[in-house]
Amino acid sequence: MASTGQSLTSLKKREAATANNRDGDQLIITPLGAGNEVGRSCVYMSYKGKTVLFDCGIHPAYSGMAALPYFDEIDPSTIDVLLITHFHLDHAASLPYFLEKTTFKGRVFMTHATKAIYKLLLSDYVKVSKVSVEDMLFTEQDINNSMERIEVIDFHQTLEVNGIRFWCYTAGHVLGAAMFMVDIAGVRVLYTGDYSREEDRHLRAAELPQFSPDICIIESTYGVQLHQPRHIREKRFTDAIHSTVSQGGRVLIPAFALGRAQELLLILEEYWSNHRELENVPIYYASPLAKRCMAVYQTYINSMNERIRSQYANSNPFEFKHISPLKSIENFNDVGPSVVMASPGSLQSGLSRQLFDRWCSDKKNACVIPGYVIEGTPAKTIINEPKEVTLTNGLTAPLNMQVHYISFSAHADYAQTSTFLKELMPPNIILVHGEANEMGRLKQKLVSLFADRNTKIITPKNCQSVEMYFTSEKMAKTIGKLAEKVPEVGETVSGLLVKKGFTYQIMAPDDLRVFSQLSTANVTQRITVPYSGAFAVIKHRLKQIYESVESSTDEESGVPTLRVHGQVTVKQESENHISLHWTADPISDMVSDSIVALVLNANREMSKVVVESEPVGSEEEDARKAEKIVHALLVSLFGDVKFGENGKLVISVDGNIAHLDKQSGDVESENEGLKERVRMAFQRIRSAVKPIPLSA
Amino acid sequence: MKTPSPTWSPSTALTSSSTAVGTTTLIPLFWSPSPGPTTPPPFYLRNVYHFKFLLKRALTWVAPTVDAVLLSHSDTLHLGALPYAMKKLGLSAPVFATEPVYRLGLLTMYDQYLSRKQVSEFDLFTLDDIDSAFQNITRLTYSQNYHISGKGEGIVIAPHVAGHLLGGTVWKITKDGEDVIYAVDFNHRKERHLNGTVLESFVRPAVLITDAYNALNNQPSRRQRDQEFLDAIMKTLRADGNVLLPVDTAGRVLELILILEQFWEQHKLAYPIFFLTYVSSSTIDYVKSFLEWMSDSIAKSFEHTRDNAFLLRHVKLLINKSDLESVPDGPKVVLASMGSLEAGFSHDIFVEWVSDTKNLILFSERGQFGTLARMLQADPPPKAVKVTMSKRVPLVGEELAAYEEEQNRIKKEEALKASLIKEEESKASLRTELPVNDQMVLDANNTHSSSNAIGQRSEAFRDVLIDGFLPPSTSVAPMFPFYDCSSEWDDFGEVINPDDYVTKDVNMDQMLMPVDGDLAGKLDEGSVSLILDTTPSKVVSTELTVQVKCSLIYMDFEGRSDGRSIKSILAHVAPLKLVLVHGSAEATEHLKQHCLQHVCPHVYAPQIEETIDVTSDLCAYKVQLSEKLMSNVLFKKLGEYEIAWIDAEVGKTENGMLSLLPLSSPAPPHKTVLVGDIKMADFKQFLASKGVQVEFAGGALRCGEYVTLRKVGDASQKGGSAAIQQIILEGPLTEEYYKIREYLYSQFYAP
Repeated sequence: MASTGQSLTSLKKREAATANNRDGDQLIITPLGAGNEVGRSCVYMSYKGKTVLFDCGIHPAYSGMAALPYFDEIDPSTIDVLLITHFHLDHAASLPYFLEKTTFKGRVFMTHATKAIYKLLLSDYVKVSKVSVEDMLFTEQDINNSMERIEVIDFHQTLEVNGIRFWCYTAGHVLGAAMFMVDIAGVRVLYTGDYSREEDRHLRAAELPQFSPDICIIESTYGVQLHQPRHIREKRFTDAIHSTVSQGGRVLIPAFALGRAQELLLILEEYWSNHRELENVPIYYASPLAKRCMAVYQTYINSMNERIRSQYANSNPFEFKHISPLKSIENFNDVGPSVVMASPGSLQSGLSRQLFDRWCSDKKNACVIPGYVIEGTPAKTIINEPKEVTLTNGLTAPLNMQVHYISFSAHADYAQTSTFLKELMPPNIILVHGEANEMGRLKQKLVSLFADRNTKIITPKNCQSVEMYFTSEKMAKTIGKLAEKVPEVGETVSGLLVKKGFTYQIMAPDDLRVFSQLSTANVTQRITVPYSGAFAVIKHRLKQIYESVESSTDEESGVPTLRVHGQVTVKQESENHISLHWTADPISDMVSDSIVALVLNANREMSKVVVESEPVGSEEEDARKAEKIVHALLVSLFGDVKFGENGKLVISVDGNIAHLDKQSGDVESENEGLKERVRMAFQRIRSAVKPIPLSA
Repeated sequence: MKTPSPTWSPSTALTSSSTAVGTTTLIPLFWSPSPGPTTPPPFYLRNVYHFKFLLKRALTWVAPTVDAVLLSHSDTLHLGALPYAMKKLGLSAPVFATEPVYRLGLLTMYDQYLSRKQVSEFDLFTLDDIDSAFQNITRLTYSQNYHISGKGEGIVIAPHVAGHLLGGTVWKITKDGEDVIYAVDFNHRKERHLNGTVLESFVRPAVLITDAYNALNNQPSRRQRDQEFLDAIMKTLRADGNVLLPVDTAGRVLELILILEQFWEQHKLAYPIFFLTYVSSSTIDYVKSFLEWMSDSIAKSFEHTRDNAFLLRHVKLLINKSDLESVPDGPKVVLASMGSLEAGFSHDIFVEWVSDTKNLILFSERGQFGTLARMLQADPPPKAVKVTMSKRVPLVGEELAAYEEEQNRIKKEEALKASLIKEEESKASLRTELPVNDQMVLDANNTHSSSNAIGQRSEAFRDVLIDGFLPPSTSVAPMFPFYDCSSEWDDFGEVINPDDYVTKDVNMDQMLMPVDGDLAGKLDEGSVSLILDTTPSKVVSTELTVQVKCSLIYMDFEGRSDGRSIKSILAHVAPLKLVLVHGSAEATEHLKQHCLQHVCPHVYAPQIEETIDVTSDLCAYKVQLSEKLMSNVLFKKLGEYEIAWIDAEVGKTENGMLSLLPLSSPAPPHKTVLVGDIKMADFKQFLASKGVQVEFAGGALRCGEYVTLRKVGDASQKGGSAAIQQIILEGPLTEEYYKIREYLYSQFYAP
């Protein structure tokens, strides 16, 4: 397999260009979202008439339809499989819309844990955004409906839909996060989604796939940045919190309710149990959603790392001693130092924003932003530590609180990405899910890294298609009787080529039922033809036409039979019928047709001999026919010819009238010239039409 | 793309050993293809069965040659011999199993060991042997295609849902597109906690190995059986009696627990239910995290309500019998292992309860031959049975002294030997690390825990605890573990951790908690105490005869497909060759005869240690289809297949592959094949839609006035010789005849 060429074009243009080459070896990848941006991940891929969509997210910085990926660029009804990598909103939140409001009728897959959290998360999303967004993309009912359509896939489980084979690997980003490998006709595409190669407190690191893909669609969130080692980040995190609370300040951790929040809670829980002096400082996590998802975390421990699994054997690591849930800001008794982890992570609205507004002007307080923040959100704004911030009520307030940005987001950094790609060695790399600048820098670095390997690195924008050509080598396996001997070069192989999915087999027709579920059939035909003549006549005539006519007698009835061409059996059924008997195939059908014709012919000729009275009738008919011809010829000569009295014909030419007696040939007319012309013409016609009498 | 050998003819040898009654371990083994592309690489597959712990002969000669072990179920019948084979017979092949089979299998083996150890000097293997046998199992998920590397290159194995037990597996072994399916103990019925098997989705494998265990059994409907089960239990409870269900450790018992749990919930019953095995709480803990392996309904209910079906509200988990004794008297239900009543808690409870007429002992599986359970299931049940009551008692007096002396001697010898070895080693390499004991070495092999420094440290700590501060026997001199405490410094000097100065009571159990990686760490406390208990002890047995007065009932909760379903599944799968194992002689013969007639002509039922050759006579070679050829091929779609007739000339590509090129001369004629499966009823409808009058008359289809269409030979009988459909079209010479013939042809593809 090798890609022979690639180009970037708009999807629309491509459709026109490739309309005549639909089944070609062209592989198209188009990001419908997350192309040179972070958010609304959605990547379209099509090869050999099979279409796969990876992820179906929304852009958190936009609302309503604007947050959706560019679905109108594609025809949803043509998509065979939709694969969701993990439950985050920017990867899964437009799924209910896509399932319920578009013509999509393919199948959707995600892992067990993703499916369980997906429902909770989106229901929460619908509830939260109700207050701020009027044009809801979908309702809770849509989510419930979508649950019915979503199918689950386990890690490493190989599924096949419509000839598309796919399986997934652990991605390490959040619980249940997967990287999908898709195999269409031997061309493999790996879509990493969000991934992390670093093992943390509860998740496994992303696996390195066993096979190298032909194309790797990889996230580039952190571009060329490098993460600090995990223990340093953890220490910075706990130190920042510890020093703030020990000075009587409050700590706000705006975090997305699920995913990284669980990791932070594990860190805090451990830190608190190691520091008794902090016992009186309460930690809250203000997310009923996270509480509801705990059951999911407690159940799918098999998707987590060994550490958690062995802890689980003794006690549930997700049952916290020092951390209590907080329902809403009304229930929050804000006295003295405290640590509050609240969603949403990007501070657009909700509890985290309310607390931020309340705490931002006190310099004792601190805000720790623990994850990646998306461009255009308030969280991104405060990272740059402006002097003033705009509150939700429209007023401006000084930003005095300390802002720490310590990333715990489990995305790969440059070190991880480059090692991952080095080990995987894909010939084509497509970067998605990254800000344009970061992505550009990463591209440059990767280009120089893989300079000697002719690796293609592409960073398509949204709706910009990447086209590649794979000259797929079609391999077939010859099996069964046909394969008893391996042929030499120059020999001929003839057999059935059976294609199932993208695998080809060549076999002898007899083996078809052995190696496939197809069966073969024999159609035996028996046709009876009326024939009352002597059987020997038929035999004689057949022998004149066919080389091989064997005669024998039927064993049962003792009647004579003929075997023509070794294929069709002719048998005298009774005095008036003969039957033809053969196994259907084009040649035998043809032979039988000719025999039928021959028999019918023989029938007709015989009838001429047998019936003697026939000529009389035919003479009369001939006369009638002759008369007709005569009339027609006269019309062509003279124009107006009418039947007159006594069987005479009345011919009128330019006002002159001639009467012609057909029997005698006499002509009466006042005009001599006409009379003579008609007479001559009739004589000639008569000599042509009627046989010359013998007497003449 | 690799160049495959031009020919390959896999030969499959199959051995099985055991009495027809009990089977245990499945060991299919492969020998790698012999070098050189011209010699046909042989492909052997062996199954070795053996009865529980009575394994002796068969495995001995075969174990070292085994290339891979595939475990299909988590009960002792399927993996019970693994530790023994690994330890004593030199079995060192990689082992494959699903995660539940691995976990629950491990727990089952622990339970088995502990139960046996209580009543006998059980020395076939130890808990450590179990651990080390299970340590290197490769865990797979359903439908995961695992490509075997190294010796068996090119072989792909994949586990598929078998039903029967949680994580139960039907193995599909594929080489060069030819499948060998190993399916013993499958269940096509959907149950409360399990989905039915997917065996039916495999079509025409080269070899199917299955069992005839249930070939003569027929089952009542599930609803009826469940009702009778609950009725029987309720009747006993209402009459103030106790119910004992002898069960397995972590297999079928799960289904029973769910039935009871649901019924108790529905009817708000207060009778206590106990699940008593040495590992019951661990079992349920793990089962709770295996939801993705269970039935769709369980998965669905969790997705919607996050309600874990195994969060048990009524069934209480007990891990030793004294807990049960402390329960106030009164009617109760106890599920206790082992199902055979030969040992374990069920044995003890049986002896206590058997002579009370109010009680009920309800068997949910057929007893294995020669066990107490089997005796009790006889019809009529015996009036009295002899049981052996065995107890482990600590050694006292002279015996103890003798034991200690013996132990000291052994220890000295070992220490001497070890120190010699160590000296040599330290001479050879200047290693500075601590000499580690055997257990540590094992753990270091474990890739998961080796990276975990904390885990290892506590490991060492635990060993010290276990050994009662005795030095590891292999170490040169007694020494305490040394911990490198890196201290942190800040502006005020060394950072003080206040925790270090808090006085706390040392809790042994808590210190044991962080023990990671090691499987023994996951045992329940009670069992841990048993391991830790190194008090010299011996087994004292007394034989007594008990009167069987309580009611005895057997109900089929084995979760295996019954005879009828097995037959229909086999007919559907239609293997080219069928091998029957594990079943009574009668059942095997019955199924064999049935299959010979209806499934396929090659049915084998090997005896113990009989080697049969199920070599596939299939030939195959690979060719490349050139673009030039393919551009001229017109496929016709038939269901999920697309077929075409090709006539091609063989050529070679640059890299020496055979490739097919278009013919330069006109194609020779070939015999016509009509491909397609015609259903008379469907064809009738088709004709009717074309405006032809059709009706069935005397087994034939009458089309129009004179033409009849008949089908002879049964197409559903795929394996038989009459597989080619024979269709007869008869009629007088009319236009109608030709019209109907055209319609008939349109149903087929004639390449």
